[in-house]
Amino acid sequence: QLSVLLSLQLTSEDMIAAFSQAVDWAGCTVRAFAWHPHTNKFAVALLDDSIRVYNSNSATVPSLKHRLQRNVAAMAWKPLCASILAVACQSCVLVWHLDPTSLSTRPSSGCAQVLSCPGHSPVTSLAWAPSGERLLSASPVDTAMLVWDVSTETCVQLQWFGGGGVTYLAWSPDGSKVLAATPSAVFRVWEAQMWTCERWPTIRGRCQTGCWSPDGSRLLFTVLGESVIYSLSFSEYRGEMQGQVGGSKTASIVADLSETTFETLYGEERIGGEVHSMVWDPTGERLAVIIRGEACPLFPPHSGFVRGERGARPQLISFHPCFPQGALLTVCWSSGKISHIPFFFVGALEPHASPRRSPVPVLGSVREQPLFSEL
Amino acid sequence: AARAVIGRCQARRRRGRCVLGWRVAAAITWSVLLLPICTAAFIILSGLDPFHPVRWISNSFNDLYTSYVIFCIFLMSMVIIIISIFNIEFYAVVPSIPCSRLALIGKIIHPQQVIHSFVHAIMGMLVTWCATVMTKGRFQFLAVSCTPSEGLEDAVPQMCLNEYHLFFLLSGAFLGYSYSLFYLINNMNYLPFPIIQQYKYLRFRRSLPLLIKHSCVESLHFVRNFCVTYYFFGYIPKVWICTTMDLHTDGKLHPLDTLSGLLDLSLFYHTWLSGVFLLMTWYIAWLLFKIYATESHHFPIQPTFAQETDQCLPKILNSNPPLLIKFLALQDLMLLSQYSPVRRQEVFSLSQPGGHPHNWTAISRECLSLLSDLTQRLIAQQEAAAAANGRAKPPVGELKVPPQTPEDMSFQSQRSNIVLRASMSPLVKPSLMPVKTSPGSDVGSPFSSPALNYKMGVVDIKSPWHGPVQSPHVMRRGPKLWTSVSDQQMNGSHHESFPVLSAARTGTEAVQPRFIYTWLQNKQEQIKTFLSKRALIMYFFSKHPEASIQAVFSDAQMHIWALEGLSHLVAASFTEDQFGVVQTTLPAILNTLLTLQEVVDRHFKLPHVSSKPPRISGSLVDTSYKTLRFALRASLKTALYRITTVFGEHLNAVQVSTEHKKRLQQFLEYKE
Repeated sequence: QLSVLLSLQLTSEDMIAAFSQAVDWAGCTVRAFAWHPHTNKFAVALLDDSIRVYNSNSATVPSLKHRLQRNVAAMAWKPLCASILAVACQSCVLVWHLDPTSLSTRPSSGCAQVLSCPGHSPVTSLAWAPSGERLLSASPVDTAMLVWDVSTETCVQLQWFGGGGVTYLAWSPDGSKVLAATPSAVFRVWEAQMWTCERWPTIRGRCQTGCWSPDGSRLLFTVLGESVIYSLSFSEYRGEMQGQVGGSKTASIVADLSETTFETLYGEERIGGEVHSMVWDPTGERLAVIIRGEACPLFPPHSGFVRGERGARPQLISFHPCFPQGALLTVCWSSGKISHIPFFFVGALEPHASPRRSPVPVLGSVREQPLFSEL
Repeated sequence: AARAVIGRCQARRRRGRCVLGWRVAAAITWSVLLLPICTAAFIILSGLDPFHPVRWISNSFNDLYTSYVIFCIFLMSMVIIIISIFNIEFYAVVPSIPCSRLALIGKIIHPQQVIHSFVHAIMGMLVTWCATVMTKGRFQFLAVSCTPSEGLEDAVPQMCLNEYHLFFLLSGAFLGYSYSLFYLINNMNYLPFPIIQQYKYLRFRRSLPLLIKHSCVESLHFVRNFCVTYYFFGYIPKVWICTTMDLHTDGKLHPLDTLSGLLDLSLFYHTWLSGVFLLMTWYIAWLLFKIYATESHHFPIQPTFAQETDQCLPKILNSNPPLLIKFLALQDLMLLSQYSPVRRQEVFSLSQPGGHPHNWTAISRECLSLLSDLTQRLIAQQEAAAAANGRAKPPVGELKVPPQTPEDMSFQSQRSNIVLRASMSPLVKPSLMPVKTSPGSDVGSPFSSPALNYKMGVVDIKSPWHGPVQSPHVMRRGPKLWTSVSDQQMNGSHHESFPVLSAARTGTEAVQPRFIYTWLQNKQEQIKTFLSKRALIMYFFSKHPEASIQAVFSDAQMHIWALEGLSHLVAASFTEDQFGVVQTTLPAILNTLLTLQEVVDRHFKLPHVSSKPPRISGSLVDTSYKTLRFALRASLKTALYRITTVFGEHLNAVQVSTEHKKRLQQFLEYKE
């Protein structure tokens, strides 16, 4: 419970920095990144509180600015929708309604809905239901997480006592469950039909990050202070078990990432440590993690490393949600560059055909457009 | 036959009550069970004595077991039951929204509402009487012996009026009446369905803090208003009681209808506290009824026994049950389509002998007819708005719905064809209109081509039913020159007679009445314009634009569920529908959704229509009916995207009009 008290004493900026999925949220130019779930479009939140939306089919790069858009901690595109972007800000959740056909580079702040609830700030995590109907928002100081009906701006508070606020949310891709991490050594898994939850105490520290398998039956998570990845499996979701989360009794360790020496092209290197953030690709065949303090994400089980440019550290990682030829990993580097790294593989048909090492990473920025606003 | 119909209706209503019966019973039981807890809290708080805490607590606990407290609890249980009965009789799933101030006044003086207010005032009086009894002290009795005056030594003790007691009773009546009035004005009889499913206990617990806060604040407002009222009119009941019961006024005590009399902190505290107690117990009964009534109900898709046929989801959707049952059925449809693969499989299944997809046909037909009803209503509203603005009507021909002639549908089976025609016919009408009434309005439209005119003529002649069914609508879609009364008459005359010949006959017959109606209509308009120039009358008559829009969308919750259910089922059918039953209806579904999408888009471009929902404060009173249209717009778009995302390029093979094909392409490219 100490960490709960600590989190209350932190200023909101420190709190966002501590709980954000970005490695160096306070100092890096890129603070949040989000791929659109259906198209080649992504949004990048920058240090100056503006958000850029890049689209592969259009040269215009809208820049979103709003009076309330301060200290962006997370962003999420609404699924089953053309262009609605939810932004977790210091005091509220902003929902931008962008016109996908518009050529304007500065959408007016009238395009943004403001969702705020007293006591629910700063917002550090957002998750849309995969069916696109509800939005979840979480704040480390609010013990309740909010379920929003964005169209009518109404919210329902989901409260469960103990454990402080909620720092990180992850909705399983099949829509059946939600992971909610707290600032204390406990996390919860909510079942998304009747909204009951299972409580999972961890041994060492708070749950830092987590990700779901595409069918929602397996949860991988990491704990602050441990360099292992845990796995938690859930009984298959059939919809008839109303109000049961159905988690297994214990979590098992699936990967140990403690420091080891690797032979790399650049000589021997010692790599390993705590996991800061972790993403699983939509086919379920690649997992990317950022190891705290290291320059390289890593891909078990056939691990490979991605090295950035000299001095650049990975800041955020994300998989393209619908890359047809395999998986496309996007890495935001501390230098402000964003690189897209494709992995070409054929899905589950040839499980062992993928090479020992992933294909040679393509380094460098794909887009040469300036990442800073010209203010 | 009429008696049979009535009998069936009663049977249906009874069945509705059956589903509701146990919910109501449980809600009432819980609110009665919670009453002793509220009473205990009230007794403890009313004996508040911060300087002697031990004595205060022990006294309050001793009071709890006394016989009069138990009697009061019994009496108030009766009150709760009566309040619950009123909740049950007055509930509505579709709120009635008064569009003008006059309508609101009309609602307030409606006999039903007057009875509601009267009974609530009596109940309020009863509760405050119980409160005075439980508070004890100086408030307890109406008649007390007067303080003996000095000097005079007549031994006859006189009975005096205890004004505090009267004040309490009247405050209870006032609170009860105010509660009833606010119940009406805030549409508290409206049953809003929650945006997420939760267990009843959790929903209750979530609302409890709000309920307590709301009762405290409301009670404060009501008591303040009551004090003001009593200050001005308090002498009337006082004098009346004194004369009827032959009581005297105590000259030693301050009369309460003066400023110094009302500035009594203890009196104010106790009035406020009993107000909070009254409102809390009533709100708890109201909240529990709301929670129980809106809980999702599991309807079977296929009957396990023959006598259960009436309780199946397809049957209920297609019959005309009480609205609440229909809402629950649609909610269940939405839930099953989203969460339950097993029940979805039942929807897609074929009937055992015969192999007909009865379940899917019934469900999709009902959803589509709901959605096309809404489309029709919106078109009518847009026309009215355009007429009110004094502009030319929007060219209805923009709605390029393909005329679904049997030739176009020949690739489909006969059965689905019938379904299609039944569900599509209301959509076809608007597109037929420009051809018949205003041929010059859109020359570029494909519908004004002579070939198509000819084609439709053929249809009209070939099938005798097309004539009578469609022509009244065509008349109605036309310029509104005559009142709805004549419309109805014409409808009636059409229905009772045979097609082509009789149409001509009624035409000649209708000339005379039509003239009279036009004249009457003109007079009515003249009177209206005359009256509307008088400012005061204008104030009462003027329609509030926001309210009328809310009224149009007041039952949109049904349409939202129909959209969600239908789109989830269609999306699931891509992998789960073994027999391809959904495919046959897919063109009709896409047509309906796309047409509705156009109409809804156009609605939000009307003047006076805000594009953003108003801010809703997190209060106990639910105003979600005010924002239903925004929810409808969002779920319509999501529903279309759900279908296009799952089907992807396959949708190009579906037969829809070129206009809709373009629109679908936009959806496929995520550009809507």
